[in-house]
Amino acid sequence: MKKCLRIQSLTKDYPGVRALDDFSAEFPAGKVHAFLGKNGSGKSTLVKSISGAILPTSGALFLDDENLDLKTPSDAFAKGIATVYQELSLIPGLSVAENIFFGRMPKNKLGLINFKKANIEAKRLLDELGINISPKTPVMELSMWQRQLVEIAKAMSFQPHVLLLDEPTSSLAQSEAEKLFEVVRILRDKGVILLYISHKLQEIFDVADSVTVIRDGLLVGIKDVVDLTKEELIHMMFGDIKVETIPDDLQFTNEPVLEVKNFTSKNHFEDINFTLHKSEVLGIAGLLGTGRSELLRAIFGADSYDEGEVTVNGKKLKKASPKRGKEAGMAFTSENRKEEGLILIHSIRENLVLASLRALRNGIFMSKKKERGYVDRQVENLQIKISSPEALVSSLSGGNQQKVLVGNWINTEPQILILDEPSRGIDVNAKQQIFDIVWEQSRQGVSSIIVSSELEELLQTCHRILIMQEGRIVNEVFPKDIEVEQLYAMCVKERD
Amino acid sequence: MNNSTEKSAVKQGIFGGRDFTKTMDIIRRLALLLVLFALMIFFSTQNENFLTLRNAMTVLRSVSITGVIALGMTLVIIAGEIDLSVGSMVALSGVLTAWLVRHFMQAIGMGDAISVILAITITLGVGILVGLFTATLRNYLRIPSFITTLGLLTALSGVAYLISGGFPIITFPSWYRYIGAGWLFEGERGATFPGIPFQVIILFVVFILLFILLHYTRIGRSIYAVGANEESARLSGVSVKLVRCVAFGITGFLAALSGIMVSSQIMTGAPAVGAGGEMNAISAVIIGGASLSGGVGKITGTLIGILFLGVLGNGMTMMGMDTHWQAVIRGALVIAAVLFNMLIQKRS
Repeated sequence: MKKCLRIQSLTKDYPGVRALDDFSAEFPAGKVHAFLGKNGSGKSTLVKSISGAILPTSGALFLDDENLDLKTPSDAFAKGIATVYQELSLIPGLSVAENIFFGRMPKNKLGLINFKKANIEAKRLLDELGINISPKTPVMELSMWQRQLVEIAKAMSFQPHVLLLDEPTSSLAQSEAEKLFEVVRILRDKGVILLYISHKLQEIFDVADSVTVIRDGLLVGIKDVVDLTKEELIHMMFGDIKVETIPDDLQFTNEPVLEVKNFTSKNHFEDINFTLHKSEVLGIAGLLGTGRSELLRAIFGADSYDEGEVTVNGKKLKKASPKRGKEAGMAFTSENRKEEGLILIHSIRENLVLASLRALRNGIFMSKKKERGYVDRQVENLQIKISSPEALVSSLSGGNQQKVLVGNWINTEPQILILDEPSRGIDVNAKQQIFDIVWEQSRQGVSSIIVSSELEELLQTCHRILIMQEGRIVNEVFPKDIEVEQLYAMCVKERD
Repeated sequence: MNNSTEKSAVKQGIFGGRDFTKTMDIIRRLALLLVLFALMIFFSTQNENFLTLRNAMTVLRSVSITGVIALGMTLVIIAGEIDLSVGSMVALSGVLTAWLVRHFMQAIGMGDAISVILAITITLGVGILVGLFTATLRNYLRIPSFITTLGLLTALSGVAYLISGGFPIITFPSWYRYIGAGWLFEGERGATFPGIPFQVIILFVVFILLFILLHYTRIGRSIYAVGANEESARLSGVSVKLVRCVAFGITGFLAALSGIMVSSQIMTGAPAVGAGGEMNAISAVIIGGASLSGGVGKITGTLIGILFLGVLGNGMTMMGMDTHWQAVIRGALVIAAVLFNMLIQKRS
């Protein structure tokens, strides 16, 4: 077994931004190394460089004394670095053993597959890792956490020196994650160099021995977990930053616009109660998978819900449907801009009026003149940079695409803007422009609800922030009273 | 002052500039027209009778039946669906009309005019209902329209044979012939202007109505949105279910209409007609530039696609080409058209 993964002066430049800056560190065997950093810190860049998915601008990786010189993921694989990704790669119709030995099933003398041998070898591998799953079981009969374990067994069948686990618990419950941790500890004791990526702070204390914190592309520090408190860790992540809050001229009234009562959708969120006021910008904070997006979708009517009620301007909404939500005065932009927001193969013009086609009618026919007015208005007001409204929306940058999506909804003259991760995948300037749009709407009396994984953004943009944990609203804060570190700590669930 | 000039400058920048995507789109459509003209010039050098008004009307007559179906199919394909049942609907519709006319006239003793009008109305209604059936299974049970209409392709043909008992029903009053085979402003025999066949007028009326529907109504615009990205359309508050009902309803209606036109041409309700009609219609739509993945397509494109197939068939026949060779060439053309569209799309 190799004993140490060494990273020497790793740097990665993207156009206009240095994602990783002169990163050097050593990761010895016999430890679980966790990586921590907020969105955009350079954490994923580092991890992808190790798995061979991206080519660093300069710097080198060494396994003991061997310079790895990784060009592709298969290079990394050949040199003994195996990665288990968030999206599982198992084939549901095949058995556990067939998946583990996919493409290299043992053969008998006739050149046919020797299932008996495959099952025996798979069984031995699973036993070694303490995984109690029969190799003959079809993968589709396994639950998520079992599949995750099979995925790890598959990676281990290649006998790698380094095993990289990318958010392995993102879709697992707490008790299931515990079973995964057991396997991780067995692997650690076998002398595998384990690299563990997770956004769940608690897990770092549960499973990791050392934690590597990255901020703005720089190594902040590598610390032994036993010596750390949660507060210290969060401070390392965020550093000393001062966040500016929402401009003072943006005031909201006491007039309720949207009331959500006893709102429940099984397995997503439970007993949600809150009121949104006229002109208010309300943020919802919480870690991934806490049911933030599901809550927004259900309020708007994109998904159905089990219990509770949504009241807009004193009128209770009857049934969940996007059409009813729109007619009640709500607007919704999905976190998946390209799949559930825009129509990529259509023009900017068509995308800007999709939600407001009804308003463009003149009698029963569409008025091209009205349509042009609607398109023109958003392009000017939102400062969307386009060559022509007939260009495909897919030809725009992420920021301008997001503006088109928001513009489509502002054309419906909504009272409530519901924005799910409006700043995802767009540059800093465009982010500010999106929030300027939200503020401008607020000045005109429109209320907004914003979900974002970037807590600083919520502090900068919102009047008030609700905090969600595991499907429930657990707290309510005002950005003026709180630091980003405190907000982050509040999102992380306390456990005994 | 300064602000307003700046604004108008922005406006000019947005709407004044030549747009690449649109230009490519125009080139693509013009390219098809140019090939069509080239084809016509080629055929006219082969046969002096090709480029005459009389032959033009022959071409139009030959494509009007498939054309009416293909225009409807365009809606379904833009909506991201398919309707394979239209060929069998043509057979069913002819047989049903004939059976109803016979029933009304002989069993109930109604007059011939009222019988025909009633029969046609009922048949067109059945066409719409069959379309709504497909849309409903798609909307509420998520059965792909390919599967439902594949089933209907067989089933509707079976119903046509059951109604007719396997034999053509010959009951129509003689004036019924006018619908599918009549002429407007009919000229003298041998005159340069032969008149306009009534079925060609039907084709163009359907074309104009669908053109308006697709480009100048909310439902038309919604059809494109649903076909391109159902979820984005739904989340924008578009009634996806209604869109499918309209697209399949109209397609069913038009398939029934073209069945009535066929029955009028042959003056019988025959269960064997229309077979394979769905494939010719789909070919015309594809040649016209629509994408089977939905969201893309033009009704004018389909019209050109129809004319293309008509001119090609007519020209090849006048050259005395073997019908089997004609089939091979038509098939190759569909593939070539798709390839061509893909190349153009890659460029833009």
